[in-house]
Parts: sequence; structure tokens; C-alpha cells
Amino acid sequence: MSVVATRTEAEEQLARQFAKVAPELPGGAWVPAARLAAMRAFGDAGLPHRRIEEWKYTDLRIRLKAAHERAGCSQRKVDAGLLREALGEELASLACIRLVLVNGRYVSSSVPVGHEPGESWKFDSLAAVLGRPNFAWIRHSFETADEADGAAVRHLNSAFVSDGIVLTVSEGAKPALPIHIVSIIDADKPVAVTTRNIVRVGAGAKVTVIESHIGVSVSKNERQVTALTEFSVGDGAEAHHIQLVAGGADVVHLGQWDVSLAATAAYRGFQLTAGIGLARNESHVSFTGPDAKLDLSGLMLGRGRDHIDTTLVVNHTTTGCEGRELFKAVLDDRARAVFQGKVIVAPEAQKTDGKQMAQALMLSEDAEFDSKPELEIYADDVACGHGSTAAELDADMLFYLRSRGIPLADARAMLIESFAADALDKIENEELREAARAITVGWLGVAA
Amino acid sequence: MLEITDLTVRIADEEKEILRGINLTVPKGEVHAIMGPNGSGKSTLAYAIAGRDGYEVTGGDILWNGQSLLDMEPDERAAAGVFLGFQYPLEIPGVATMTFLRSALNALKKKRGMPELTTPEFLKLIRAKAAELGIKDEMLKRPLNVGFSGGEKKRMEVLQMSMLDPQLCVLDETDSGLDIDAIRIVAEGANRMRGPDRAMLVITHYQRLLDYIVPDKVHVLSGGRIVKTGGKELAHELEKSGYAEFTGKAA
Repeated sequence: MSVVATRTEAEEQLARQFAKVAPELPGGAWVPAARLAAMRAFGDAGLPHRRIEEWKYTDLRIRLKAAHERAGCSQRKVDAGLLREALGEELASLACIRLVLVNGRYVSSSVPVGHEPGESWKFDSLAAVLGRPNFAWIRHSFETADEADGAAVRHLNSAFVSDGIVLTVSEGAKPALPIHIVSIIDADKPVAVTTRNIVRVGAGAKVTVIESHIGVSVSKNERQVTALTEFSVGDGAEAHHIQLVAGGADVVHLGQWDVSLAATAAYRGFQLTAGIGLARNESHVSFTGPDAKLDLSGLMLGRGRDHIDTTLVVNHTTTGCEGRELFKAVLDDRARAVFQGKVIVAPEAQKTDGKQMAQALMLSEDAEFDSKPELEIYADDVACGHGSTAAELDADMLFYLRSRGIPLADARAMLIESFAADALDKIENEELREAARAITVGWLGVAA
Repeated sequence: MLEITDLTVRIADEEKEILRGINLTVPKGEVHAIMGPNGSGKSTLAYAIAGRDGYEVTGGDILWNGQSLLDMEPDERAAAGVFLGFQYPLEIPGVATMTFLRSALNALKKKRGMPELTTPEFLKLIRAKAAELGIKDEMLKRPLNVGFSGGEKKRMEVLQMSMLDPQLCVLDETDSGLDIDAIRIVAEGANRMRGPDRAMLVITHYQRLLDYIVPDKVHVLSGGRIVKTGGKELAHELEKSGYAEFTGKAA
């Protein structure tokens, strides 16, 4: 059923912007037509709203008041100073291969000696790839989805995407350093940025990929990002995938992960969303071969009127796969977190082993946590379970810490860190885990 | 000196007062034991001294060195020298024992106007204290009390006490759940803390602990009042006769 409604201000703005910027967006051959089709599909359905089940807690028609203009080029050079300002000391000094986008355009890379791209791994900018003809697999990525309802973010992304990273890790390759795709937004007025990263991990390979979405200057607290990641993991490959998003009350982050796991692949994904006014991270995971392992987790940190939505659709279509999902939220003031975890186990997906947990720590009586686990199980020989909790800080623990001389604010921070710890511990790379912890502690510091 | 006068305490949301007029004085240099049957108000007294939320003082006062503790937050009481050894120490997942001890110690030093310890100073101190209590390095690296046995938790309480250097030590049923070897270790730790500048209040149901921490005075708490005070031999009498005499009297 389609609901006929007048266009919202944001929808009008998006349509006007598309007409204006489409000619300048990268891509020859089939690309302009694909963008137009995506924009039409988006326009037909409009922004997702609460009457669409998947968006019942996050009504973009109401929440997205205006669509900012597309970001222009930044004048700032990508140097150590900018990286420190954007990422913070810990994350900026992480030993990694760094591929940097600024305002939605690939700008530069920094690759430590001995880790250069070549046989083991290679990358290209999406804009460059779109400029070449006959990239069938990229074309597939731009097709419009049949079900218009759930695909708004993908369609918007296809229409407006300006650039991104296409990363390939070769069969059996094990790059020793994490590959960090940094997307920095730097503008002196509110802007919008649309990026898409495509990561393909070959059979038997092992890699850690980090994506961070950070703003500096006005964009630190005010920006709109639409970010799509397609991540495929080959037979027996092992991939760690971490997303770090930090910002402020006027940041909008619409993120989507499409993950596909081949036979016996092991994929560990983690999403840190710290202090975002309106965030939606929607992940779709599909299993293309048996006996793969999925471990997806995340930490949502909200205060003020932040609204952070994590939506998962994990589709078990083949035998013997394992799914682990752990999402935690720390919510203060009138912040709200949403967790929707749909796990589908098809009739043929016997021996599926799935466990899901969503937990919120409520620091204020006005905070809200909406948790909607959904198990749709059509196979009979499976072990699946889910749980969800929302609790306040433990008064007994607080008293215990305070009785040792620790002041209230510090004791609270300690317990919040303690709550967040088992989510953060999902990040295996120690340096990276400490960087994520630093973002968390930094966020807490603002609270105290 | 700890001076408790006419103290009445009730637990929030409950009409009835648990403590119904406690008068108790513990001078520095002395160890006093509080004994009593279950439900007599022993833990309530401990929590009232440490300032736990929900333990509402409805009358009387608790003076420590002449200063009332009642208007102080729990961390301020700790800074004033009060330490409560918990009957059931809490497990705090995700907070490393070392980090916790260091935060607590430095918070106290700061409040007491003393310089914080450097990392080497802190490590030296904690290794020495931990060794006295047979606490291995491995335990210090774990999250606070998580997965610790009952005996390990109580040793950790005593380690915290000796690190934080309080002047008023309140030990709430430190012997509960411990075997005799564990009691001995914990009691030795507590005995090392005895000194002319320190007052100690040992709360216990059984006389057993008092064989190891020999008190200067024993008070019997029943029905929210101190019903009898005596020397250490009173503990032995109670061991023989039980609390029936007092529960009868209090009711």
C-alpha cells in the first residue's frame, strides 16, 4: 500500500538538489540513468516514515526537517593536524593504512612503507571506477531495489553518491595493518555528503577495515551523511569491520551495511555511534555459503535529544551458520535508542546458531529505548535466542565505589565504561579498541 | 573517636525503624565488636556510618573526630577516614582492579590535600600489600571482584582497606562464607591495621572471628538497640547461650 502524501520540505529540497547536481556527479555510460532511476524510486516512496514497519521508531518525514546542500571542496590539506582534529589523538596515531575522503571525495592515502597496495590488496576511488565502462559488478550495486519501502537510503545513496573507496583484498592475502577509510567533512556551513565504500575480501584472506565518519569545523556538529558499505567476505576469509561515527546534536547519519558471507567465512562487525542527533545504521547480512560466522555488535551513546537507530536484518539461508549480535546503548537526558534485530532462518538453514542481545543503560528517566527483536524461524533444528534489557546504573555498585572515596561523577563514569566494556571488547585490535574507548570516554566527559 | 548518640535509622519505604536509639563510643586505638542475631540491625548500623542511600537517619548523630558524618556524601566520609568492609563485596565487570584501586587512592589523596602517587610508587605499594594478603598479580589484573571466590573477595576488601589507610574501619560480617584458613588471612590483615590512631568496629554474628581479631569491647545489638556491653569474654558467653535471652528481652 502506498500512502499518498504531500512532499515534505526535505523531499522537495532533495529533488531540486538532484536536478542541480546530477550533471556534475561522477560516472559515464549507464551511471546517469541508474542515478535517475534511483532518484525516481526514492521520489515515488518518499522519505521512510513510521507507517513502514522497519521505520516505525524513526520517522524521517518528521525528523529530517531539511536537506542540506551538497558539500563543496574543502580548502584544507589532509595533514597530521587535520587528522588529529578529526579523529582525536588515539585514532589519528593508529598504525594503519589510511585512505582519506574529504567532503565526499577521495583525496589522499597514507600507506606505511612495506604495506603498499599491489598483489595483496588494492583500492580505487569509486568515482574513478564509475568513470570507466563495463564494470558489471559495480552496476549491480546501483540497481534499484524491488521493495521500495526498505530501500530509501540505498536509493538516495545511488542518486547522490559522489565517491568512496573500492577496496579489494586478494585471495589468501593478509594485510598486516588495518585499512582505515576516513571520511572527513569540513565546511563552514551545514552540508550533506554521500559516500559508498565497496569492500571485497577474497577467499582465505584476513583483514581489518575501519570506516570513520567525522566532521571538523561547523561539520563537527552539523552535517548530513548518507553512507553505504557493501562488504563481501569470501570462502574461509576472516574480516573485521569497524565503523566509528561521532558528532553532535545536529548531525544526521544514515548508514547502511550490506554484508555477504561465503562458506566458512568469519566476519566481525562493530559500530560505535557517539552523540549523533539522528542516526540510522541499518545492516543487512546474508549468508551465501554454509558454516559462516557472524559477530555483529555496537555501542550507541546518546544525550540531549539524540536519536540513534540500529536496525539489523540477518538472513540465514544456508546451513550451519552462527550469528551473534550484541548492541548496547547509553542514554541520557531525552535521548532515544532503537534496536530492531530481525533474524530470519529459512527452512533449509538447519543447524543455525543465533544469539542476540540488546541492552540499554538509562541515565535519565526521560531517555527511551525501543527494542524490537524479531525471530522468524522456519527451520526445525536450530538454536536461536534473544534478550533485551534496560536498566539504570546499579545503586549498590555506585555506593560501593563511592564508599572507597571515588566522587559521584567519576563513579558513574566508571560504571558506564564498565557497561560499555563488553561491547568495546569485541574490537580485537588493541590499539583500535583503546581508540574507540577514548571516543567513549570523551563522550562521557562531556556528560559530566 | 567514633561517637554514636541516640541514633535512629529507618530504611526508606519502610515505616519501622531498624535502629531504635544506638549509643556507642569507640575511641581510637580500640577494637569493638558488634554481635547480634540476624535482623538486629548490624548491617544497618554499618551502612548508616558509611552513608548508603536509603538508610535514613531519623534521629541522633554519628560523630567522627567530633564532626558529624550525616551531612557528608559517602566519598566525603571515605576522605574523612571511614572505611566499610562489605559483607557482600560487589562485582564490577569491566573495571580493572588496579585501575579502581588507583582511582580510589588518588581521589582520597586529592581530597586529603596530599600528592597523588606516581605509577611506580603505586605499583610498589600495591605489590607489597597484596603479597601480605596472598593476592596474586593475576587477581589484580581481573575486573574488580569478578569471578572471585568468597575468600578472595574478602581479601580484596582488606587489601582496599590497607591501601586506603582509613582511621575508622567498619568490617561488616567479614567472616561470612569463609573457611577457617580464609578467616585467619583476613583477620591477620585486619590486625595489621590495629594501631593507636585507628578505631575499628567488627560486626559479626559468630564469636569465631573474634578469636582472631580480639576485641577490646563487645556490644550485643538486638532489636535495634545495644542491649549489653562487655569485654571479649562476652563473645564466648554468647557462643554458649545464644541470643535467645536478648531477643526475648528486646521483643
